[in-house]
Amino acid sequence: MDLAIDEGTLERLKGIRALGASQIRPLGIEADRLGRPTPPEHPFFEGLVRAGQGRTRWRGEGSGTQSEERAGSIGSSRSTLCLAEEMSYWDRGVAVSFPGPGLGEPPLISMGTEDQKRRFLGPFVHPDRARWGSFAMTEPGAGSDVAGIRASARKEGNTWILNGAKSFAANASRSDWIVVWATVDSSLGREGHRAFVVEKGTPGLGDFQVERKMGLKAYESTSFSLVDCRVPAENLIGGEEHYARRAGFKGAMRSFNATRPLVAVMAVGIGRAALDAGVEFAEKSDLLGDIRIRDRLERTRRKLRSARLLCWRAAWLADHGRPNILEASMAKAAAPTAALEAASLGMEILGVVGGRGDHLIEKLYRDVKAMDIVEGTGQVQRLIMARQLVQLPRD
Amino acid sequence: MIDFQIGDELELVRNTALNYADDHLRPALRENESARTPGRAAEEAFAEIGFATLEWPELDAESGLGAVARYLVLEELAAADPGAALALDPLGPALYPLMELGGPDAVRDFGEPLLSSMGSRGLLIWNGAGAPRCLERKGNSWSGVVPWVPADRADLVVVLDEEGASVVQQGIELERLRGSGLRTAGASELTLHSAPIAAEWSGADGARRALARARLYVAALLVGVMRESSDYSRRYAMDRVAFGKPIAHHQALAFLIADMAIAVDSARILGLEAAWRLDTGRPGEEASATAFLEAAEQATFVTPNGVQILGGHGFMQDHPVEKFMREGRTLGLFFGGVDGAREDAARGMKAFPEEPLLPLGAA
Repeated sequence: MDLAIDEGTLERLKGIRALGASQIRPLGIEADRLGRPTPPEHPFFEGLVRAGQGRTRWRGEGSGTQSEERAGSIGSSRSTLCLAEEMSYWDRGVAVSFPGPGLGEPPLISMGTEDQKRRFLGPFVHPDRARWGSFAMTEPGAGSDVAGIRASARKEGNTWILNGAKSFAANASRSDWIVVWATVDSSLGREGHRAFVVEKGTPGLGDFQVERKMGLKAYESTSFSLVDCRVPAENLIGGEEHYARRAGFKGAMRSFNATRPLVAVMAVGIGRAALDAGVEFAEKSDLLGDIRIRDRLERTRRKLRSARLLCWRAAWLADHGRPNILEASMAKAAAPTAALEAASLGMEILGVVGGRGDHLIEKLYRDVKAMDIVEGTGQVQRLIMARQLVQLPRD
Repeated sequence: MIDFQIGDELELVRNTALNYADDHLRPALRENESARTPGRAAEEAFAEIGFATLEWPELDAESGLGAVARYLVLEELAAADPGAALALDPLGPALYPLMELGGPDAVRDFGEPLLSSMGSRGLLIWNGAGAPRCLERKGNSWSGVVPWVPADRADLVVVLDEEGASVVQQGIELERLRGSGLRTAGASELTLHSAPIAAEWSGADGARRALARARLYVAALLVGVMRESSDYSRRYAMDRVAFGKPIAHHQALAFLIADMAIAVDSARILGLEAAWRLDTGRPGEEASATAFLEAAEQATFVTPNGVQILGGHGFMQDHPVEKFMREGRTLGLFFGGVDGAREDAARGMKAFPEEPLLPLGAA
């Protein structure tokens, strides 16, 4: 057993910390104050690209597997978790606004044809400028219950015609393309789902609306609609063969999940920021000696600490391709509430200062709530856990 | 890099403990509780495996496995019967002041004699902050009354406080009590009548480390108890039908069962972290106090809910969940209890803006 972070990851953490203090947090505070996402033309993004950020994990033609990377520390889920936690410590909203293929990348890497990887991830190998990709599953009427999506896909000759509405897609209006999930037959549930790459400027893709949010304002959560949006057949991710093949595995669920612990650990990062700011304020106000305050800070730190370890364990299992459904959901159920508790306690330590609306902790209190909602709410995590623990039926 | 694999050797140790608990403890939980002992056969088998000397420095080839090994063993034993776990381990947490303050010589001089006589018990009394100091030092002896110790016999008493530790072997009187939990270990009021000090060591650092190990010992027992309470009630809830389906499939219970699983694993993983810190020479006082606190708090959530899930059956002694509830509560009372642990867990609470990932103590 080893719970130490390797040197390579520690070095990268120090880099994030420097960038975090000098740019990421100030940018997040600025976006929060102005009530708008950081604009795509902001020099911060250009600087990131020059510094080698915003690239794809895809290694170019003929590679496509991540297995060698997984063996080492850099590129493992655990290393990614550490970096993501540190980014979220500085500002989770800014972290999501970073250029890159974003959440559209995993489906392209795992399902996409070589040609699709080249066309859509190729520009992210050595990006000439800040570029974004996006991912759109959620709809106004389908959040955690993804089987309920209504956006439709109908094939006409060599073209797919998409119709529907998508909500809360990160960075969608600034993206080169969006991975859009639609259904060929809504009565089929997940079996009917298809993923398409819809490129910027495609007629019928429009009505972009950057949503107004309680927190995490530095990145755009964008809703848009698809009206008879014609997408070429070669933009169906994986091609039709992929879905025909998958139908053979009806009901087979992936036995491990790497994104839930990742999102969970981001909550730990936000919670840690709130804890640090709370302790700092308590110290300055001479409150740290107050046993009531001290004990609640201790409890908060303890809950964040166990949540982080639960995230690490789930990621470690995923790195070894071992089943982690229970552990991943456990981490995702535990971390956001621990982080909210940290921010809420921070507000109490601030006292009426928290009511002013201009303290970092007040911002974190608003930011952190999203973490118990995205990637499956805490309630959905408990449902998933109950399926594992007591064979809770799906309906 | 972060790796939760415990390795083949520790897997073997854990499986040995699991099999031992299945063979020697689970079949006779209630009998052992009434008899106030796990019995001679269980004691002999335990001695044969060599669990007692798992962490003993330089004693035999089995020794020196460390805190993670001890943690895993205690968790497995306590998942059957934490009272038995205490009764079977001749020195129990009393080992730690000997080890940390007295060194290998003290372990040999005071520990070894207990191994040679079946059923011997060494007791650790925390006489420091967090609880009323029961014992009073007069010259070269201790006097006073400790209201409860989980034992019917005491061959050795180690008194630990913030400054150091001392050992007494005479002037010890035990008066039997009914006890609340942990009855397999016995239950007594302990009185020291000007008990002469046979040896003593001072050192605040060693005392802190000894207390840290002792807390982790109890944390492991708590995790074992609540794990079993959680598992037992979960299995019951899948069998028991009410309102047309297994009660586990009513969402109120499905969510409670999920939350109990989270509670067990949160406590367990903090304990493993603390044990890993101790084994790798990292500071572990704050981590073990944290692990103890989490285990004590989560046990008071999990074990009463274990009874709750079984409803009326849970309240009856035909099922072990009521026993787990008593034990989940009483274990958390040792060594200054949760409030004593809070002192150490919160010590040095400060902000760490300059250190990546450090604020939670993971370095």
